[in-house]
Amino acid sequence: MKNNRVRWSSFPEFLAEIKSYNQIVGITEIARRYFVMNAFDGILTTIGVLAGNYLAGVRDLSIPIQIGIATSIAMGISGLWGAYLTETAERKRELSELEKVSLIDQSDTSIGRASRFAVIIVSIVDGLAPALAALIVLTPLFLDSVIQNPVLSYALAGGTALVSLFVLGLFLGEISDANKIGFGLKTLMAGLVAIAINFLLGAE
Amino acid sequence: MKVGNLRRIVLDVLKPLEPDIVDLARKISTLSGVDGVNITIYEIDHHVENAKITVEGEQLSYQELQELIVENGGAVHSIDEVAAGKRTVEEVVTHQD
Repeated sequence: MKNNRVRWSSFPEFLAEIKSYNQIVGITEIARRYFVMNAFDGILTTIGVLAGNYLAGVRDLSIPIQIGIATSIAMGISGLWGAYLTETAERKRELSELEKVSLIDQSDTSIGRASRFAVIIVSIVDGLAPALAALIVLTPLFLDSVIQNPVLSYALAGGTALVSLFVLGLFLGEISDANKIGFGLKTLMAGLVAIAINFLLGAE
Repeated sequence: MKVGNLRRIVLDVLKPLEPDIVDLARKISTLSGVDGVNITIYEIDHHVENAKITVEGEQLSYQELQELIVENGGAVHSIDEVAAGKRTVEEVVTHQD
């Protein structure tokens, strides 16, 4: 490491740098939080799309598929843009606070680079999480040619959404080292509440 | 012009809390000529901490050391002790001390 401006010359060095960035700004924690929050959003929004179409009597599944894909793209863009702007602002504030107390321009240090790297990673996670979650929930609709029963496809998509919510809860339980099933049931409950309210309103 | 053999450098450094001193000590230990490093924290603030960094070795490069500290967000406040030459000379206690 004779010249630290040459940041890496091999893949292991690159990995070490990424590890160091993660240690400095805690990218994993932030990305994990964004991932869960936005995957949760993606699943619930898609439950809304499915319930709305089902209750409106739409049985041509190409319509909820189109709406679902469009919604997942919009959620992806929203996540990417929103996280990029929010994280950039937040990181700049943190960096400028550090610059004030240390009286050093931190933009070209490992801390400045870690900050910028965190913004990119978090934005990608925030964009991909809701979009992927929505597409997973829509999978049974894509398989309509195999299932050949629109109502069953809707039901399977709803089931996929509930299972995804439960898995997300298990993941939260794993992170917090707490009761995984308890967390799973809490996230599952959100999906059930969304479905119930949609059906109650749609039954009029 | 001959370049003297720098054997010990003691610095007073203001550094951010991250990267921590474990990471910084490891990085300093990879610099050319370094035999050993000691970093001691003597004051911690909200975002920064003051560290006394002692580096010993053969043919140490002060420039490399300073660049590494700056690269990791720190600033050298003062050079508190330096030893150079064929052997390391310790500070001598005099009657005035």
